[in-house]
Amino acid sequence: MLETFNSLMMGFAVAFDPKVFMYAIAGCIIGTLVGMMPGLGPLAGISLLLPATFGLDPIIAIVLLAGVYYGAMYGGSTTSILMRIPGEAASVMTCVDGYAMTQNGRAGPALAIAAIGSFFAGTVGVIGLMLMAPTLASFALRFGPPEYTALLLMGLFVLAYMSGGSMLKTLAMAFFGLLLGMIGIDVMSGYTRFSFGMVELGDGIGIVPVAVGLFGISEILITAGQAEPPKVQRPKLRELIPSREEFRLSVGPILRGSLLGFAIGIIPGSAHVISSFVSYGVERRLSKHPERFGKGAIEGVAGPESANNSAATGAFVPMLALGIPTGPVTAVMIAAIMVHGILPGPMLIEQQPELFWGFVASMYVGNLVLLILNLPMVGLFVNLLRIPYAYLYPCILAFCILGCYSVSNSVTDVWIMLAMGAIGYGLRKFGFDLAPVALGLVLGPMLELSLRQSLAMSGGTYMIFLERPIAVTMFGLALLLLALALKPVLFRSKDWRSEVGLDEKVD
Amino acid sequence: MAEIPAGPAQDTQDPEKGGLKSDRVSGLVLLALAGLIAWLNREFPLGTLADPGPGYVPLLLAVGLGVIGLLVALLGGRSEALRDIRWTEARRAAVILVACVALTFALERIGYRLSVFAFLVFFLGVVERKKPLAVVLVATGFSLASFHVVAILLGVPLPRGPWGF
Repeated sequence: MLETFNSLMMGFAVAFDPKVFMYAIAGCIIGTLVGMMPGLGPLAGISLLLPATFGLDPIIAIVLLAGVYYGAMYGGSTTSILMRIPGEAASVMTCVDGYAMTQNGRAGPALAIAAIGSFFAGTVGVIGLMLMAPTLASFALRFGPPEYTALLLMGLFVLAYMSGGSMLKTLAMAFFGLLLGMIGIDVMSGYTRFSFGMVELGDGIGIVPVAVGLFGISEILITAGQAEPPKVQRPKLRELIPSREEFRLSVGPILRGSLLGFAIGIIPGSAHVISSFVSYGVERRLSKHPERFGKGAIEGVAGPESANNSAATGAFVPMLALGIPTGPVTAVMIAAIMVHGILPGPMLIEQQPELFWGFVASMYVGNLVLLILNLPMVGLFVNLLRIPYAYLYPCILAFCILGCYSVSNSVTDVWIMLAMGAIGYGLRKFGFDLAPVALGLVLGPMLELSLRQSLAMSGGTYMIFLERPIAVTMFGLALLLLALALKPVLFRSKDWRSEVGLDEKVD
Repeated sequence: MAEIPAGPAQDTQDPEKGGLKSDRVSGLVLLALAGLIAWLNREFPLGTLADPGPGYVPLLLAVGLGVIGLLVALLGGRSEALRDIRWTEARRAAVILVACVALTFALERIGYRLSVFAFLVFFLGVVERKKPLAVVLVATGFSLASFHVVAILLGVPLPRGPWGF
């Protein structure tokens, strides 16, 4: 415990370095603005900023990108509450009661509770990250290729089981992503696969063009031609203070949302989206007056907002401890760290303690900065929403193309992004979740390599997966999840999604 | 944008009525895609079960995608009818994609600033029919300011045209 405390103090020394601190604040502000823009969620924001971090110190790069991530989550909730426009999918549930509160003249308290809940949940998440990641990383030092194969396969089953939409469609998208990951040179044989003679595809498809295309471009294509958003309210500072009753009603949902969100955040998939749906379902079920939900219940803002922020932090646990992304955002973050020659994984905390602990400490700082900055400045930030969408979306498109091009100075990446945008648009029209595609793209090569390394280790026998206790346990869990997932399909019974109201479409 | 749940979904009286279902179509498209990938994969050695070659995992994944596609199609009887999917924004989406393709094509030929300027003039002036002064101001301001921030302040190289611009 003392060691953790000392490491955290070292982290704070890094986080309060004037340069790092300045970038953390810049990240939070940029993120808030990005999160408020329709079409630019946290993922697109991080992807577009990625090239700008290449010349920075790795600690500053990751602190900046984490600030953007956090800020975008805050920004997304602001547009959800004030305009019923979820800046990103995780804010969908906030729209329901948040916007109803705005209509009831309680926009200020809704924003304040969302910010306080996010701050508390973010802090809980960071504490969880701080305690869990080093433990998990030291455990993961025992992992060899068979354990990684089992872990990745289990992750895919968890992803399918916990997905927001249909399990089959999620699995289909995961397989599609895994197949995209097969493009490029096979490291074990040297064969170049599915490159159609294009040298640029030798290294495979990058996560940035895929992520920006699937999430940024497809969003703009979907929203093209929609009516102008409603007029935006600008709550004054004194209107932000919630009443005593609103505070009392929010305490439980914030606590539950924070814990629930962190637990779900560790799981692969659209964790922060799912966590907000699950939290909303839980709060509606626990409420003595569930009929208030949908009509401006503050619990419907406090719970989901806390849950999605806590989940956002939880997602960093497997990323930092195992080097495995749980979603598209962490996949892009891994790419950002790897550009600097640092490999996230069990050895990261040991070999790069300043990076890990500086990152953890900067998350504390970032949370506080967002709470202090965002509430008083909400009136200023909402001015961005006054810019007509007709002016915004062409600029966002140009930004997407600029961002993708500058990752590797390649027009091929831009073509990939545009193709992914068109594919993402079509997939969303047919109700497919896009997160598994991005996740599969990153996990595909890892899964193939670990499987073939395991077989090379065992001389070609698959018994290696049954001889190692950790791998067997993971395969057992994967089979259990598969059985649980198949139960509602085979017996036509309801599954957990309908329990929490997740059977509505999420994209 | 993510869809906002507004209330309980409407019950379908007879799920099989209403023509072709969306999941049936998407499932069959996935099956066809899996077939195409398996066909493209034939040029890579499969290896053996004990010593997989470069074609082994892609084939396994293609088979998996095909099976899932088939299941999506078979179990998709209760999904939304294909004709109920609204394509109101499709024409605008196609214009956006074509304009982006043109910008990408022009990027390394006439440089970042000129191509982005033309792109914004097209969108704001032709598609959105904004006032000419606003169009010129936004297009000039955005193309120059974004170049300055990204290429000069952040040091990320951006393409310049034959005129050095």
